[in-house]
Amino acid sequence: MRPDRLPLAARALVWAVALLAILVMGLPMANVLAVSLSSPGSSESPGLVLFPAEPSLEGYAFVWGTIDLWRPFLNTLYVSAAGTLLHAILAALGGYVLAQPELPGRKALTSFVLLTMTIPAELTLVSIYAVNKQFHLVNRYAGLILNGAASGFSILLMRGYFSAIPRSLSEAARIDGCPEPGIFWRIFLRLAKPGLATVATLELIRRWNNIAMTVTLVSDMAKTTLPVVLRWLLFEMSTASGAAYVYANAKMAAVVISALPLVALYAFAQRFFVAGALAGSVKG
Amino acid sequence: MPGPRPRSIRRYRSLYLLFLPVALYFILFSYYPFAKGIAMSFQGNRLIGPKPFVGLANYREVLADPDFLRAVLNSLVIGLADLALYFSLSLFLALCIAELGSRLARRAVQTFAYLPYLFSWSVIAGVWILVFDQRGIVNAIGGLLGAEPTFFLAEPGLARPLIIGMGVWRSVGYFALLFTVAITDIDPVLYEAARIDGASRLRQIASVTLPSLRPTMKVVILLLVMGVLTHFDEMFVMQNPANRTRIATLLVYVFDMGIVKFKTGFATAGATVVMAGTLILAGLARKALRYDEA
Repeated sequence: MRPDRLPLAARALVWAVALLAILVMGLPMANVLAVSLSSPGSSESPGLVLFPAEPSLEGYAFVWGTIDLWRPFLNTLYVSAAGTLLHAILAALGGYVLAQPELPGRKALTSFVLLTMTIPAELTLVSIYAVNKQFHLVNRYAGLILNGAASGFSILLMRGYFSAIPRSLSEAARIDGCPEPGIFWRIFLRLAKPGLATVATLELIRRWNNIAMTVTLVSDMAKTTLPVVLRWLLFEMSTASGAAYVYANAKMAAVVISALPLVALYAFAQRFFVAGALAGSVKG
Repeated sequence: MPGPRPRSIRRYRSLYLLFLPVALYFILFSYYPFAKGIAMSFQGNRLIGPKPFVGLANYREVLADPDFLRAVLNSLVIGLADLALYFSLSLFLALCIAELGSRLARRAVQTFAYLPYLFSWSVIAGVWILVFDQRGIVNAIGGLLGAEPTFFLAEPGLARPLIIGMGVWRSVGYFALLFTVAITDIDPVLYEAARIDGASRLRQIASVTLPSLRPTMKVVILLLVMGVLTHFDEMFVMQNPANRTRIATLLVYVFDMGIVKFKTGFATAGATVVMAGTLILAGLARKALRYDEA
Protein backbone atom coordinates (compact mmCIF):
# COMPACT_ATOMS: atom_id res chain seq x y z
CA MET A 1 0.00 0.00 0.00
CA ARG A 2 1.84 3.09 1.19
CA PRO A 3 5.31 2.25 2.48
CA ASP A 4 6.11 5.85 3.38
CA ARG A 5 5.17 6.60 6.97
CA LEU A 6 4.27 9.51 9.16
CA PRO A 7 6.92 10.89 11.51
CA LEU A 8 6.94 9.16 14.89
CA ALA A 9 5.25 12.04 16.73
CA ALA A 10 2.39 12.11 14.24
CA ARG A 11 2.00 8.34 14.43
CA ALA A 12 1.84 8.56 18.22
CA LEU A 13 -0.82 11.27 17.91
CA VAL A 14 -2.90 9.15 15.53
CA TRP A 15 -2.88 6.17 17.89
CA ALA A 16 -3.57 8.40 20.88
CA VAL A 17 -6.62 9.84 19.09
CA ALA A 18 -7.82 6.34 18.19
CA LEU A 19 -7.46 5.15 21.77
CA LEU A 20 -9.14 8.28 23.13
CA ALA A 21 -12.05 7.85 20.70
CA ILE A 22 -12.61 4.26 21.79
CA LEU A 23 -12.43 5.21 25.48
CA VAL A 24 -14.68 8.26 25.18
CA MET A 25 -17.30 6.29 23.26
CA GLY A 26 -16.87 2.88 24.89
CA LEU A 27 -16.44 3.67 28.59
CA PRO A 28 -19.79 5.44 29.04
CA MET A 29 -21.58 2.60 27.21
CA ALA A 30 -19.85 -0.04 29.35
CA ASN A 31 -20.68 2.03 32.42
CA VAL A 32 -24.38 2.18 31.51
CA LEU A 33 -24.51 -1.57 30.88
CA ALA A 34 -22.74 -2.42 34.15
CA VAL A 35 -24.95 -0.12 36.24
CA SER A 36 -28.09 -1.55 34.62
CA LEU A 37 -26.99 -5.01 35.76
CA SER A 38 -26.29 -3.94 39.37
CA SER A 39 -28.48 -4.23 42.43
CA PRO A 40 -30.40 -1.04 43.32
CA GLY A 41 -28.09 -0.12 46.19
CA SER A 42 -24.80 -0.86 44.47
CA SER A 43 -25.93 0.90 41.27
CA GLU A 44 -25.56 4.24 43.02
CA SER A 45 -22.00 3.70 44.21
CA PRO A 46 -19.60 6.36 42.94
CA GLY A 47 -16.95 6.19 40.25
CA LEU A 48 -16.43 4.23 37.11
CA VAL A 49 -18.30 0.93 37.26
CA LEU A 50 -17.40 -1.43 34.45
CA PHE A 51 -18.50 -4.65 36.16
CA PRO A 52 -21.52 -4.86 38.46
CA ALA A 53 -20.39 -5.25 42.08
CA GLU A 54 -23.61 -7.06 42.98
CA PRO A 55 -24.97 -8.47 39.71
CA SER A 56 -28.76 -8.33 39.54
CA LEU A 57 -31.56 -8.07 37.02
CA GLU A 58 -33.75 -6.08 39.40
CA GLY A 59 -33.41 -2.93 37.30
CA TYR A 60 -34.83 -4.72 34.24
CA ALA A 61 -37.58 -6.36 36.31
CA PHE A 62 -38.51 -2.97 37.76
CA VAL A 63 -38.81 -1.05 34.46
CA TRP A 64 -40.44 -3.96 32.63
CA GLY A 65 -42.87 -4.89 35.43
CA THR A 66 -43.50 -1.94 37.74
CA ILE A 67 -43.09 0.81 35.12
CA ASP A 68 -44.70 -1.25 32.32
CA LEU A 69 -41.96 -0.33 29.87
CA TRP A 70 -43.16 -3.14 27.62
CA ARG A 71 -46.07 -0.93 26.62
CA PRO A 72 -44.05 1.93 25.07
CA PHE A 73 -41.68 -0.73 23.75
CA LEU A 74 -44.48 -2.46 21.84
CA ASN A 75 -45.92 0.93 20.77
CA THR A 76 -42.53 1.89 19.35
CA LEU A 77 -42.11 -1.48 17.69
CA TYR A 78 -45.56 -1.23 16.11
CA VAL A 79 -45.40 2.33 14.80
CA SER A 80 -41.78 1.90 13.67
CA ALA A 81 -42.40 -1.36 11.83
CA ALA A 82 -45.69 -0.33 10.23
CA GLY A 83 -44.37 3.14 9.40
CA THR A 84 -41.18 1.76 7.89
CA LEU A 85 -43.10 -0.73 5.76
CA LEU A 86 -45.39 1.99 4.44
CA HIS A 87 -42.43 4.29 3.87
CA ALA A 88 -40.55 1.63 1.90
CA ILE A 89 -43.62 0.90 -0.25
CA LEU A 90 -44.19 4.56 -1.12
CA ALA A 91 -40.47 5.08 -1.77
CA ALA A 92 -40.51 2.13 -4.19
CA LEU A 93 -43.67 3.33 -5.98
CA GLY A 94 -42.50 6.93 -6.27
CA GLY A 95 -38.97 5.98 -7.24
CA TYR A 96 -40.20 3.53 -9.89
CA VAL A 97 -42.50 6.05 -11.53
CA LEU A 98 -39.85 8.78 -11.55
CA ALA A 99 -37.35 6.33 -13.06
CA GLN A 100 -39.43 5.96 -16.26
CA PRO A 101 -37.51 8.10 -18.74
CA GLU A 102 -40.30 8.54 -21.29
CA LEU A 103 -43.19 9.17 -18.89
CA PRO A 104 -44.96 12.43 -19.85
CA GLY A 105 -44.82 14.92 -16.97
CA ARG A 106 -41.91 13.17 -15.29
CA LYS A 107 -40.05 16.46 -14.78
CA ALA A 108 -43.04 18.09 -13.09
CA LEU A 109 -43.54 15.09 -10.81
CA THR A 110 -39.85 15.15 -9.88
CA SER A 111 -40.06 18.84 -8.95
CA PHE A 112 -43.21 18.11 -6.96
CA VAL A 113 -41.21 15.58 -4.92
CA LEU A 114 -38.03 17.68 -4.71
CA LEU A 115 -39.91 20.70 -3.41
CA THR A 116 -41.14 18.78 -0.36
CA MET A 117 -37.52 18.35 0.68
CA THR A 118 -37.19 22.10 1.20
CA ILE A 119 -40.02 22.01 3.79
CA PRO A 120 -38.47 20.55 6.94
CA ALA A 121 -41.18 18.80 8.97
CA GLU A 122 -39.63 20.12 12.18
CA LEU A 123 -40.50 23.64 11.12
CA THR A 124 -44.14 22.90 10.50
CA LEU A 125 -44.87 21.02 13.73
CA VAL A 126 -47.63 23.41 14.81
CA SER A 127 -49.52 23.26 11.53
CA ILE A 128 -48.87 19.52 11.30
CA TYR A 129 -50.61 19.25 14.66
CA ALA A 130 -53.52 21.35 13.38
CA VAL A 131 -53.83 19.29 10.20
CA ASN A 132 -53.69 15.98 12.06
CA LYS A 133 -56.29 17.26 14.50
CA GLN A 134 -58.49 17.96 11.49
CA PHE A 135 -57.92 14.41 10.17
CA HIS A 136 -58.61 12.92 13.65
CA LEU A 137 -55.10 11.49 13.81
CA VAL A 138 -54.00 13.08 17.10
CA ASN A 139 -53.30 10.62 19.91
CA ARG A 140 -53.63 7.68 17.54
CA TYR A 141 -51.08 5.19 16.27
CA ALA A 142 -52.31 5.87 12.74
CA GLY A 143 -51.10 9.46 13.08
CA LEU A 144 -47.60 8.37 14.02
CA ILE A 145 -47.55 5.84 11.19
CA LEU A 146 -48.95 8.09 8.46
CA ASN A 147 -46.85 11.16 9.16
CA GLY A 148 -43.52 10.46 7.49
CA ALA A 149 -44.99 7.76 5.22
CA ALA A 150 -43.04 9.21 2.29
CA SER A 151 -39.97 11.37 1.90
CA GLY A 152 -38.43 12.97 -1.13
CA PHE A 153 -35.05 11.67 -0.04
CA SER A 154 -36.13 8.01 -0.04
CA ILE A 155 -38.02 8.34 -3.32
CA LEU A 156 -35.00 9.85 -5.06
CA LEU A 157 -32.78 7.17 -3.56
CA MET A 158 -35.03 4.44 -4.99
CA ARG A 159 -35.20 6.25 -8.33
CA GLY A 160 -31.43 6.00 -8.44
CA TYR A 161 -31.52 2.25 -7.81
CA PHE A 162 -34.28 1.65 -10.39
CA SER A 163 -32.53 3.78 -13.02
CA ALA A 164 -29.46 1.59 -12.74
CA ILE A 165 -31.41 -1.51 -13.80
CA PRO A 166 -30.89 -2.23 -17.53
CA ARG A 167 -33.99 -1.35 -19.54
CA SER A 168 -33.53 -4.35 -21.79
CA LEU A 169 -34.80 -6.55 -18.96
CA SER A 170 -38.16 -4.80 -18.70
CA GLU A 171 -38.45 -4.48 -22.50
CA ALA A 172 -37.96 -8.22 -22.88
CA ALA A 173 -40.58 -8.96 -20.23
CA ARG A 174 -43.00 -6.56 -21.88
CA ILE A 175 -42.56 -8.26 -25.26
CA ASP A 176 -43.23 -11.58 -23.55
CA GLY A 177 -46.55 -10.10 -22.40
CA CYS A 178 -45.73 -9.69 -18.73
CA PRO A 179 -48.22 -7.17 -17.21
CA GLU A 180 -46.92 -3.89 -15.77
CA PRO A 181 -47.42 -4.75 -12.09
CA GLY A 182 -45.55 -7.99 -12.71
CA ILE A 183 -42.64 -6.12 -14.28
CA PHE A 184 -42.50 -3.81 -11.29
CA TRP A 185 -42.78 -6.61 -8.75
CA ARG A 186 -40.74 -9.40 -10.32
CA ILE A 187 -37.99 -7.46 -12.03
CA PHE A 188 -37.50 -4.02 -10.57
CA LEU A 189 -38.32 -4.60 -6.94
CA ARG A 190 -36.32 -7.79 -6.82
CA LEU A 191 -33.23 -6.15 -8.32
CA ALA A 192 -33.52 -3.02 -6.17
CA LYS A 193 -33.66 -4.98 -2.91
CA PRO A 194 -30.43 -3.47 -1.48
CA GLY A 195 -31.85 0.01 -2.10
CA LEU A 196 -35.08 -0.94 -0.40
CA ALA A 197 -33.16 -2.34 2.57
CA THR A 198 -31.16 0.89 2.82
CA VAL A 199 -34.27 3.05 2.74
CA ALA A 200 -35.97 0.84 5.33
CA THR A 201 -32.95 0.86 7.64
CA LEU A 202 -32.71 4.65 7.59
CA GLU A 203 -36.42 5.01 8.22
CA LEU A 204 -36.40 2.47 11.03
CA ILE A 205 -33.63 4.38 12.86
CA ARG A 206 -35.48 7.65 12.35
CA ARG A 207 -38.75 6.26 13.63
CA TRP A 208 -37.37 4.28 16.55
CA ASN A 209 -35.64 7.41 17.88
CA ASN A 210 -38.19 10.03 16.86
CA ILE A 211 -39.15 12.53 19.53
CA ALA A 212 -40.39 15.73 17.88
CA MET A 213 -43.23 14.18 15.87
CA THR A 214 -44.27 11.90 18.73
CA VAL A 215 -44.59 14.64 21.34
CA THR A 216 -46.43 16.78 18.80
CA LEU A 217 -49.05 14.20 17.89
CA VAL A 218 -49.37 12.10 21.04
CA SER A 219 -49.93 13.34 24.58
CA ASP A 220 -51.50 10.12 25.86
CA MET A 221 -48.76 8.34 27.82
CA ALA A 222 -50.36 4.96 27.05
CA LYS A 223 -49.82 5.48 23.31
CA THR A 224 -46.45 7.17 23.30
CA THR A 225 -43.06 5.72 22.41
CA LEU A 226 -39.88 4.67 24.22
CA PRO A 227 -37.82 7.87 23.88
CA VAL A 228 -40.62 9.92 25.42
CA VAL A 229 -41.19 7.49 28.31
CA LEU A 230 -37.45 7.14 28.83
CA ARG A 231 -37.13 10.91 29.18
CA TRP A 232 -39.91 10.93 31.74
CA LEU A 233 -38.32 8.06 33.65
CA LEU A 234 -34.91 9.75 33.68
CA PHE A 235 -35.96 13.25 34.62
CA GLU A 236 -39.47 13.46 35.93
CA MET A 237 -40.58 10.30 37.60
CA SER A 238 -38.40 10.76 40.70
CA THR A 239 -39.65 14.30 41.19
CA ALA A 240 -43.32 13.46 40.64
CA SER A 241 -45.14 13.40 43.95
CA GLY A 242 -45.94 9.97 45.29
CA ALA A 243 -43.82 8.17 42.73
CA ALA A 244 -41.33 5.58 43.85
CA TYR A 245 -37.66 6.52 43.87
CA VAL A 246 -36.05 5.22 40.70
CA TYR A 247 -32.60 3.78 41.28
CA ALA A 248 -29.84 4.22 38.74
CA ASN A 249 -29.95 0.53 37.82
CA ALA A 250 -33.58 0.89 36.66
CA LYS A 251 -32.88 4.09 34.72
CA MET A 252 -29.94 2.48 32.97
CA ALA A 253 -31.91 -0.69 32.28
CA ALA A 254 -34.44 1.46 30.43
CA VAL A 255 -31.60 3.11 28.51
CA VAL A 256 -30.25 -0.29 27.47
CA ILE A 257 -33.70 -1.55 26.44
CA SER A 258 -34.17 1.57 24.29
CA ALA A 259 -30.79 1.38 22.60
CA LEU A 260 -30.28 -2.35 22.19
CA PRO A 261 -32.64 -3.16 19.28
CA LEU A 262 -30.89 -0.81 16.82
CA VAL A 263 -27.44 -1.86 18.01
CA ALA A 264 -28.40 -5.51 17.48
CA LEU A 265 -29.78 -4.71 14.05
CA TYR A 266 -26.58 -2.83 13.24
CA ALA A 267 -24.56 -5.95 14.05
CA PHE A 268 -26.49 -7.90 11.40
CA ALA A 269 -27.18 -5.29 8.75
CA GLN A 270 -24.14 -3.05 8.99
CA ARG A 271 -23.79 -2.60 5.24
CA PHE A 272 -27.25 -1.06 4.93
CA PHE A 273 -26.47 1.40 7.71
CA VAL A 274 -23.29 2.42 5.90
CA ALA A 275 -25.06 2.63 2.54
CA GLY A 276 -27.73 4.79 4.15
CA ALA A 277 -25.16 7.12 5.64
CA LEU A 278 -23.48 7.48 2.26
CA ALA A 279 -26.71 8.11 0.42
CA GLY A 280 -27.05 11.22 2.53
CA SER A 281 -23.63 12.52 1.65
CA VAL A 282 -23.68 12.34 -2.12
CA LYS A 283 -23.50 15.82 -3.57
CA GLY A 284 -26.57 16.39 -5.69
CA MET B 1 -40.45 8.88 -33.15
CA PRO B 2 -43.96 7.42 -33.50
CA GLY B 3 -46.76 8.79 -31.32
CA PRO B 4 -47.82 6.92 -28.19
CA ARG B 5 -49.56 3.67 -28.99
CA PRO B 6 -52.63 2.47 -27.06
CA ARG B 7 -50.52 0.02 -25.11
CA SER B 8 -48.15 2.71 -23.85
CA ILE B 9 -51.05 5.00 -22.94
CA ARG B 10 -52.42 2.19 -20.80
CA ARG B 11 -48.99 1.78 -19.35
CA TYR B 12 -48.66 5.45 -18.46
CA ARG B 13 -52.08 5.38 -16.84
CA SER B 14 -51.00 2.56 -14.56
CA LEU B 15 -47.81 4.47 -13.72
CA TYR B 16 -49.75 7.59 -12.74
CA LEU B 17 -51.96 5.35 -10.64
CA LEU B 18 -48.89 3.98 -8.89
CA PHE B 19 -47.78 7.52 -8.13
CA LEU B 20 -51.15 8.51 -6.68
CA PRO B 21 -50.50 7.44 -3.05
CA VAL B 22 -47.23 9.37 -3.05
CA ALA B 23 -48.89 12.49 -4.46
CA LEU B 24 -51.75 12.23 -1.97
CA TYR B 25 -49.34 11.88 0.91
CA PHE B 26 -47.31 14.93 -0.03
CA ILE B 27 -50.39 17.04 -0.67
CA LEU B 28 -52.05 16.14 2.63
CA PHE B 29 -49.05 15.88 4.95
CA SER B 30 -46.49 18.20 3.43
CA TYR B 31 -47.89 20.94 1.18
CA TYR B 32 -51.14 21.39 3.08
CA PRO B 33 -49.55 21.82 6.55
CA PHE B 34 -46.97 24.13 5.00
CA ALA B 35 -49.64 26.35 3.42
CA LYS B 36 -51.81 26.12 6.51
CA GLY B 37 -48.88 27.18 8.69
CA ILE B 38 -48.32 30.30 6.60
CA ALA B 39 -52.03 31.08 6.68
CA MET B 40 -52.21 30.54 10.45
CA SER B 41 -49.35 32.96 10.98
CA PHE B 42 -51.61 35.76 9.73
CA GLN B 43 -54.52 34.68 11.92
CA GLY B 44 -55.49 34.96 15.57
CA ASN B 45 -54.45 32.39 18.15
CA ARG B 46 -57.05 29.71 17.82
CA LEU B 47 -56.64 26.08 16.92
CA ILE B 48 -60.19 25.33 15.84
CA GLY B 49 -63.12 27.47 14.81
CA PRO B 50 -63.08 30.68 12.77
CA LYS B 51 -59.85 32.62 13.03
CA PRO B 52 -59.74 36.37 12.49
CA PHE B 53 -57.22 37.77 10.04
CA VAL B 54 -54.72 39.86 11.97
CA GLY B 55 -52.21 40.82 9.30
CA LEU B 56 -48.62 41.05 10.49
CA ALA B 57 -49.54 41.41 14.17
CA ASN B 58 -48.19 37.96 15.06
CA TYR B 59 -44.89 38.68 13.35
CA ARG B 60 -44.55 42.02 15.13
CA GLU B 61 -45.29 40.41 18.48
CA VAL B 62 -42.94 37.47 17.94
CA LEU B 63 -40.05 39.63 16.79
CA ALA B 64 -40.51 41.85 19.87
CA ASP B 65 -40.76 38.91 22.30
CA PRO B 66 -37.60 38.72 24.46
CA ASP B 67 -38.05 34.92 24.69
CA PHE B 68 -37.95 34.69 20.91
CA LEU B 69 -34.82 36.80 20.70
CA ARG B 70 -33.20 34.66 23.37
CA ALA B 71 -34.18 31.58 21.37
CA VAL B 72 -32.47 33.08 18.31
CA LEU B 73 -29.32 33.61 20.36
CA ASN B 74 -29.45 30.08 21.81
CA SER B 75 -30.02 28.56 18.39
CA LEU B 76 -27.13 30.45 16.83
CA VAL B 77 -24.69 29.75 19.67
CA ILE B 78 -25.48 26.05 19.92
CA GLY B 79 -26.04 25.54 16.19
CA LEU B 80 -22.83 27.23 15.10
CA ALA B 81 -20.77 25.52 17.81
CA ASP B 82 -22.20 22.17 16.69
CA LEU B 83 -21.41 23.02 13.07
CA ALA B 84 -17.79 23.95 13.81
CA LEU B 85 -17.12 21.03 16.18
CA TYR B 86 -18.92 18.29 14.22
CA PHE B 87 -17.08 19.30 11.06
CA SER B 88 -13.56 19.76 12.41
CA LEU B 89 -13.54 16.86 14.88
CA SER B 90 -15.06 14.35 12.45
CA LEU B 91 -12.62 15.36 9.71
CA PHE B 92 -9.71 15.07 12.15
CA LEU B 93 -10.94 11.70 13.40
CA ALA B 94 -11.35 10.39 9.83
CA LEU B 95 -7.81 11.51 8.93
CA CYS B 96 -6.48 9.73 12.01
CA ILE B 97 -8.47 6.57 11.26
CA ALA B 98 -7.05 6.52 7.73
CA GLU B 99 -3.51 6.61 9.09
CA LEU B 100 -3.97 3.67 11.48
CA GLY B 101 -1.79 0.86 10.22
CA SER B 102 -4.09 -1.93 11.37
CA ARG B 103 -7.38 -2.78 9.67
CA LEU B 104 -8.76 -4.11 12.93
CA ALA B 105 -7.99 -0.85 14.74
CA ARG B 106 -9.61 1.16 11.94
CA ARG B 107 -12.80 -0.88 12.20
CA ALA B 108 -12.87 -0.75 15.99
CA VAL B 109 -12.54 3.04 16.15
CA GLN B 110 -15.06 3.52 13.37
CA THR B 111 -17.65 1.21 14.97
CA PHE B 112 -17.32 2.65 18.49
CA ALA B 113 -17.52 6.20 17.17
CA TYR B 114 -20.56 5.47 14.99
CA LEU B 115 -22.67 3.60 17.57
CA PRO B 116 -24.02 6.66 19.47
CA TYR B 117 -25.56 7.88 16.23
CA LEU B 118 -28.05 5.03 16.59
CA PHE B 119 -29.23 6.28 19.98
CA SER B 120 -32.23 8.50 20.57
CA TRP B 121 -31.57 11.74 22.43
CA SER B 122 -33.23 10.23 25.49
CA VAL B 123 -30.69 7.40 25.45
CA ILE B 124 -27.85 9.91 25.05
CA ALA B 125 -29.29 11.89 27.96
CA GLY B 126 -29.36 8.71 30.08
CA VAL B 127 -25.71 8.01 29.30
CA TRP B 128 -24.68 11.57 30.12
CA ILE B 129 -26.66 11.69 33.35
CA LEU B 130 -24.66 8.71 34.55
CA VAL B 131 -21.30 9.97 33.32
CA PHE B 132 -21.71 13.55 34.60
CA ASP B 133 -23.48 12.64 37.84
CA GLN B 134 -21.94 13.80 41.10
CA ARG B 135 -20.80 10.21 41.58
CA GLY B 136 -20.06 9.61 37.89
CA ILE B 137 -16.91 8.95 35.88
CA VAL B 138 -16.12 12.58 35.12
CA ASN B 139 -16.14 13.58 38.76
CA ALA B 140 -14.11 10.48 39.61
CA ILE B 141 -11.45 11.48 37.08
CA GLY B 142 -11.66 15.08 38.29
CA GLY B 143 -11.19 13.84 41.85
CA LEU B 144 -7.99 12.05 40.85
CA LEU B 145 -6.73 15.35 39.49
CA GLY B 146 -7.71 17.09 42.69
CA ALA B 147 -10.86 18.87 41.47
CA GLU B 148 -13.90 19.43 43.65
CA PRO B 149 -16.92 17.32 42.65
CA THR B 150 -19.32 19.31 40.46
CA PHE B 151 -22.95 18.58 39.74
CA PHE B 152 -22.58 19.39 36.05
CA LEU B 153 -26.22 18.93 35.11
CA ALA B 154 -27.47 21.47 37.66
CA GLU B 155 -24.97 24.15 36.67
CA PRO B 156 -26.81 26.63 34.41
CA GLY B 157 -23.52 27.95 33.05
CA LEU B 158 -22.66 24.48 31.78
CA ALA B 159 -26.00 23.82 30.11
CA ARG B 160 -24.89 24.87 26.63
CA PRO B 161 -21.45 23.23 26.69
CA LEU B 162 -23.05 19.99 27.90
CA ILE B 163 -25.64 19.94 25.14
CA ILE B 164 -22.99 20.73 22.53
CA GLY B 165 -20.82 17.97 23.99
CA MET B 166 -23.69 15.49 23.78
CA GLY B 167 -24.16 16.36 20.14
CA VAL B 168 -20.48 15.87 19.43
CA TRP B 169 -20.50 12.52 21.22
CA ARG B 170 -23.50 11.42 19.18
CA SER B 171 -22.60 12.71 15.72
CA VAL B 172 -18.83 12.84 15.24
CA GLY B 173 -18.61 9.14 14.34
CA TYR B 174 -21.34 9.48 11.72
CA PHE B 175 -19.69 12.36 9.90
CA ALA B 176 -16.29 10.71 10.31
CA LEU B 177 -17.78 7.69 8.52
CA LEU B 178 -18.72 9.90 5.56
CA PHE B 179 -15.16 11.25 5.39
CA THR B 180 -13.62 7.80 5.88
CA VAL B 181 -15.48 6.34 2.94
CA ALA B 182 -14.53 9.33 0.78
CA ILE B 183 -10.87 8.81 1.75
CA THR B 184 -11.08 5.12 0.77
CA ASP B 185 -12.42 6.21 -2.62
CA ILE B 186 -9.42 8.39 -3.42
CA ASP B 187 -7.52 7.04 -6.42
CA PRO B 188 -4.21 5.46 -5.19
CA VAL B 189 -2.56 6.77 -8.35
CA LEU B 190 -2.70 10.27 -6.85
CA TYR B 191 -0.65 9.14 -3.85
CA GLU B 192 1.73 7.28 -6.15
CA ALA B 193 2.33 10.46 -8.16
CA ALA B 194 2.86 12.51 -5.00
CA ARG B 195 5.36 9.95 -3.75
CA ILE B 196 7.31 10.02 -7.00
CA ASP B 197 7.47 13.78 -6.59
CA GLY B 198 9.07 13.14 -3.19
CA ALA B 199 6.13 14.22 -1.03
CA SER B 200 6.27 13.09 2.60
CA ARG B 201 3.24 11.36 4.16
CA LEU B 202 2.15 14.59 5.85
CA ARG B 203 2.54 16.45 2.59
CA GLN B 204 0.39 13.79 0.87
CA ILE B 205 -2.40 14.35 3.41
CA ALA B 206 -2.22 18.08 2.80
CA SER B 207 -2.06 18.00 -0.99
CA VAL B 208 -3.89 14.78 -1.94
CA THR B 209 -6.28 13.70 0.82
CA LEU B 210 -7.67 17.08 1.86
CA PRO B 211 -8.27 18.44 -1.68
CA SER B 212 -9.94 15.14 -2.67
CA LEU B 213 -12.32 15.48 0.28
CA ARG B 214 -13.60 18.85 -0.86
CA PRO B 215 -16.95 17.60 -2.29
CA THR B 216 -17.67 15.65 0.90
CA MET B 217 -16.75 18.66 3.01
CA LYS B 218 -19.21 20.78 1.05
CA VAL B 219 -22.03 18.30 1.57
CA VAL B 220 -21.30 17.96 5.28
CA ILE B 221 -21.15 21.72 5.80
CA LEU B 222 -24.38 22.28 3.90
CA LEU B 223 -26.14 19.52 5.89
CA LEU B 224 -24.91 21.11 9.12
CA VAL B 225 -25.87 24.63 8.07
CA MET B 226 -29.40 23.52 7.29
CA GLY B 227 -29.54 22.02 10.78
CA VAL B 228 -28.31 25.13 12.64
CA LEU B 229 -31.77 26.51 13.38
CA THR B 230 -33.65 23.21 13.62
CA HIS B 231 -32.22 21.62 16.76
CA PHE B 232 -35.07 20.37 18.90
CA ASP B 233 -34.83 16.86 20.35
CA GLU B 234 -31.76 17.38 22.53
CA MET B 235 -33.18 20.56 24.08
CA PHE B 236 -36.59 19.03 24.53
CA VAL B 237 -35.04 16.08 26.36
CA MET B 238 -32.59 18.04 28.51
CA GLN B 239 -34.69 21.08 29.41
CA ASN B 240 -35.53 21.84 33.02
CA PRO B 241 -36.48 25.07 34.80
CA ALA B 242 -32.85 25.77 35.70
CA ASN B 243 -31.31 25.50 32.22
CA ARG B 244 -34.26 26.50 30.02
CA THR B 245 -33.23 30.06 29.31
CA ARG B 246 -29.82 28.89 28.06
CA ILE B 247 -30.86 26.05 25.80
CA ALA B 248 -34.40 26.85 24.62
CA THR B 249 -33.86 27.10 20.86
CA LEU B 250 -36.21 28.44 18.22
CA LEU B 251 -37.99 25.16 17.71
CA VAL B 252 -38.45 24.69 21.44
CA TYR B 253 -39.97 28.19 21.50
CA VAL B 254 -42.28 27.35 18.59
CA PHE B 255 -43.29 24.04 20.19
CA ASP B 256 -44.06 25.69 23.55
CA MET B 257 -46.08 28.45 21.97
CA GLY B 258 -48.02 26.29 19.55
CA ILE B 259 -48.41 22.82 21.07
CA VAL B 260 -48.22 23.58 24.79
CA LYS B 261 -49.83 27.04 25.01
CA PHE B 262 -51.99 26.85 21.86
CA LYS B 263 -50.91 30.32 20.70
CA THR B 264 -50.94 29.01 17.16
CA GLY B 265 -50.74 32.27 15.23
CA PHE B 266 -47.78 33.32 17.25
CA ALA B 267 -46.04 29.96 16.93
CA THR B 268 -46.55 29.64 13.17
CA ALA B 269 -45.26 33.18 12.68
CA GLY B 270 -42.15 32.15 14.62
CA ALA B 271 -41.83 28.97 12.54
CA THR B 272 -42.14 30.93 9.31
CA VAL B 273 -39.36 33.26 10.43
CA VAL B 274 -37.16 30.24 11.23
CA MET B 275 -37.94 28.72 7.85
CA ALA B 276 -36.96 31.94 6.09
CA GLY B 277 -33.82 32.08 8.22
CA THR B 278 -32.87 28.53 7.26
CA LEU B 279 -33.41 29.24 3.57
CA ILE B 280 -31.24 32.35 3.80
CA LEU B 281 -28.50 30.52 5.72
CA ALA B 282 -28.53 27.63 3.23
CA GLY B 283 -28.45 30.07 0.31
CA LEU B 284 -25.50 31.95 1.80
CA ALA B 285 -23.69 28.69 2.51
CA ARG B 286 -24.22 27.42 -1.05
CA LYS B 287 -22.79 30.65 -2.34
CA ALA B 288 -19.85 30.73 0.05
CA LEU B 289 -19.02 27.08 -0.69
CA ARG B 290 -19.59 27.54 -4.43
CA TYR B 291 -21.72 24.46 -3.94
CA ASP B 292 -23.28 24.50 -7.35
CA GLU B 293 -19.97 24.71 -9.17
CA ALA B 294 -18.06 21.45 -9.45
